[in-house]
Amino acid sequence: MLLSLITFLPLVFALLICLVPKDSWIRPVALVLALVEFAVSLYLFKVFDPAAPGVQLIERMAWVPEAGITYFMAIDGISFWLVLLTTLLTPIAILGSWTSIDNRIKGFHAAVFVLQTSMIGSFLAMDAILFYVFFELSLVPMYFMVGIWGGTRRIYATMKFFIYTMAGSLMMLLAIIYLMFTARDTLGMMTASLLDLYTLKIPFVAGSFLNPQTLLFFAFSLAFAIKVPMFPVHTWLPDAHVEAPTPGSVILAGVMLKMGSYGFLRFVLPLFPEAAEYYAWVFLFLGVVGIIYGALVAMIQPDIKKLVAYSSVSHMGYVMIGLFAMNMYGVTGSVYQMLNHGVSTGALFLLVGMIYERTHSREISKYGGLAKAMPIYTILFIIVTMSSIAVPMTNGFIGEFMILMGTFEASRPFAIAAVTGVVLGAVYMLWMVKRVFFGPEGELVKDEHHPLHDLSVRELVVMAPLIVLIFWMGLFPNHFLNYSKASIANFVENRDNYRLVLDAPATSEKSAATFDVKSDSVAKAGQ
Amino acid sequence: MNPTTPMDFVTLKDMLSIAPMAVMFLISMIPLLMKPLLGNRELNPKTVLLYNVGAVIVAAFMTTTIFGPSFGGKSTAFANAIVIDGITVWMSYLVYLVTGVPLMLAYDHVATRGRQFTEFAFLMMSSAIGMLILIMSNDLIVTFIGIETMSLCLYILVAMSKEQVLSKEAAFKYFVLGSFASAIMLYGVALLYGTVGTTYYPDIWVGVTKMITTNRMFLTGIVLVILGFAFKVSIFPLHAWTPDVYQGASTPVTAFMSTAVKAATFVSFLRFMNSEGYAQAPQLLTVMTWLAVLTMTIGNVAAIMQSNFKRVLAYSSVSNSGYAMVGLIAAGFGANYNGAATSVLFYLFSYTLMTLGSFGLVALFEKNENTSLEVTDLRGMGRKYPWLGMALTVLMLSLAGIPPTLGFFGKFFVFSAAIEQDMYWLAFWGVINSVISVYFYLRPIVVMYMSEDKEAEVLPMHILTRGAVILAAVAVVVLGLLSSPVYALVKKSVVNLF
Repeated sequence: MLLSLITFLPLVFALLICLVPKDSWIRPVALVLALVEFAVSLYLFKVFDPAAPGVQLIERMAWVPEAGITYFMAIDGISFWLVLLTTLLTPIAILGSWTSIDNRIKGFHAAVFVLQTSMIGSFLAMDAILFYVFFELSLVPMYFMVGIWGGTRRIYATMKFFIYTMAGSLMMLLAIIYLMFTARDTLGMMTASLLDLYTLKIPFVAGSFLNPQTLLFFAFSLAFAIKVPMFPVHTWLPDAHVEAPTPGSVILAGVMLKMGSYGFLRFVLPLFPEAAEYYAWVFLFLGVVGIIYGALVAMIQPDIKKLVAYSSVSHMGYVMIGLFAMNMYGVTGSVYQMLNHGVSTGALFLLVGMIYERTHSREISKYGGLAKAMPIYTILFIIVTMSSIAVPMTNGFIGEFMILMGTFEASRPFAIAAVTGVVLGAVYMLWMVKRVFFGPEGELVKDEHHPLHDLSVRELVVMAPLIVLIFWMGLFPNHFLNYSKASIANFVENRDNYRLVLDAPATSEKSAATFDVKSDSVAKAGQ
Repeated sequence: MNPTTPMDFVTLKDMLSIAPMAVMFLISMIPLLMKPLLGNRELNPKTVLLYNVGAVIVAAFMTTTIFGPSFGGKSTAFANAIVIDGITVWMSYLVYLVTGVPLMLAYDHVATRGRQFTEFAFLMMSSAIGMLILIMSNDLIVTFIGIETMSLCLYILVAMSKEQVLSKEAAFKYFVLGSFASAIMLYGVALLYGTVGTTYYPDIWVGVTKMITTNRMFLTGIVLVILGFAFKVSIFPLHAWTPDVYQGASTPVTAFMSTAVKAATFVSFLRFMNSEGYAQAPQLLTVMTWLAVLTMTIGNVAAIMQSNFKRVLAYSSVSNSGYAMVGLIAAGFGANYNGAATSVLFYLFSYTLMTLGSFGLVALFEKNENTSLEVTDLRGMGRKYPWLGMALTVLMLSLAGIPPTLGFFGKFFVFSAAIEQDMYWLAFWGVINSVISVYFYLRPIVVMYMSEDKEAEVLPMHILTRGAVILAAVAVVVLGLLSSPVYALVKKSVVNLF
């Protein structure tokens, strides 16, 4: 029940928020509730077995048995950290929006909690339709968040975000339905459970496009590529980010983009191994193009937030090439980079939001010499910048290094091209830092009517956990990777024959227990 | 009539099977007769409403007691002219729902309450009786009688909005085109009678298997009957009347028309398509596929261009006919009739709830009968009326097919039915259209919550309408999460069908 509790607790909180009578109480109540959720999710450390390669803490029951849809939740080393990232970023986003969101705060916090439920749900769902439900549901609160509390072009941005994402995922729905009927024909029952879908052998013909596995592969890939977002379907992202309020950006970049890369890892690669292998070059290519293109476009942005948004395109390109390198280094690096990106880009958006709150401008050219006016802010910003451009000792370095190693092993030309992105990343970030923080004082910094204050205690508290994580993840990556290692190894080694729950009882007793659960549940579903 | 069973005297069983209809008719007559007896004085609308809603409830109760015990079974009456099976029972309840709720909307609504509410309610009940005949008909002539009873009442109902200038035009347009469509259908029936020798559905199905590829006259008859159905459910290219009529009619009538007429006609259409023989005619499949695709696309694209909320919903109802048609084609031309028919019935159920709720909201938001509600008129409503705003949001998201609402599962089952029969092209266009439709379904939400606020108008306190709307929104979410029992129920109604 722990996973369901973690998933649906925020939904209960959303209702509680609606019942809070006074507007001034909402922020503290929401913060406390989000911390409660975080504390509950920390309990995962106690029950999660890092050595088990398959999924754990299985919860399974029928939902729509007529169509083979089950309520099937489970966790493994890949989703483990993503869930914790979600529960960590939510209280940070709430605390970060303490003063910036000043109208309809009840609706805003309710939306944050609904969003949290849908995000955690999509990381934990092991049934394709259940996943789809959470995946789509996450659009609704984000749609409201950008549309109501966003900037001037918010309606355009939010409509674009919604329609773009929905267009991709509906093709995936068709693909899921097709898989369910394939399962019915080969296994004798309608099922959308990944447990069964992984056992399907979908016909693949190399070189031809019109065969089931290739079409399904691209239908799924389109949905997730839009979400990641990969070049050339990334165009919704800068719009959504620029218009979104700061906490919206933090959650969007920090967690929602990972739903795309997680989808590749959970669905695309294991379900369609031959097609993934055959068309890996397409995604390696698009990933590399995304890295370089994102970096080049970020370089010329006049707006800090837009620059950070394009840097996301670039960073998510690394995640994608790591995944499609499909070896231990690459995939591990990608999983790590997902977390890094959540931490460092989340931190960057928070920092941009803090300065925007003071000056109501994000134009780089209006700043300059900020280091003198706001020294603490500058220090934090530079730390996060270092993490973003993957300087050793920060988290970004570990992720990008492993991804590049993995890509080098898989395909040298792509690795060589991708390395240029590291340089370009340093260029656009450091150039921005130079223009904003150093040099002659810009008009906003000079403005004597509105002197700039350095960070308040609240803002320091917001940043502190992220800064700690940046160094912790950079210095002791094994503290984190140990939890994912078994799952990733299982995925990489058995890619052609991937199983959520291992048939052969492995060394630990735990996997033997999960084996029983599996045969039990299959027997039940078969009845 | 089936020639093999000679027409007997009408038995008690026959009378019992139409008893709910008869009771509905008799009770709805009471206020109508009271009016002239009391010196042609307008009755208190509350009395009229009580009588008519009472009649609906009594009819629902009778349906439960008479047919409930044998739910899922099948029996015929009136020498096989009507059939009582699971679909009949299931759809009867739907007809009761979509008659009762618009009656309440009409009681609340300014356009219908004050004048001739007695006659209005009677016509609505008669139209509902036509639908009940339609859903249980097992014979083309009975189908035709059902369609005509239903439509004739509707022509008058559309015209009854006194101040709305468009209502006369709409009624006239609907009447002329509707009569034309009826004539076409009747011609088709005649051709079928000429080739098969009966108008009894099972004989027609056998005829389809035998003759659809060999007998041109028979094929023409089939096509003409299909066109007749297509007009009533507004399938492209016979959809053009829909937006005008839906806009011109007073909103409670629109709510009634857009839900009940479609649901009842689709059921009859579905019965008509229940023959394995259709699979022999791939040309017919191609034509119907394209009709479905064009219906969805034109409905959705046209809805994007509308600014009047009622017209948006009208085009949305056109496109929804297209989605239901996807399931219908899978049922008629595929190998798994029951599965696909279940998906269509489930879709009709979800569509009915969503559309009823949406038109209920339109009825609430309208100031008077002669101002049509623009989408931009919704500004500020989301803040001033949080519950209604929430209800509209839920209904629109459900119409757009966002999980976990009922609308999502409706689409899911329909697309599943198409994919099961390898009709990927249909399913593909279905989802493309779902994406297009998101734009105009989200626009009311944008206007309500995201535009600059203006002082929202004070809405009348229509308890019945408000209750119905909120209930519809709650049902859309709750039944979406519980779609398994609903689906099982629908499936049970179909499973022993033929």
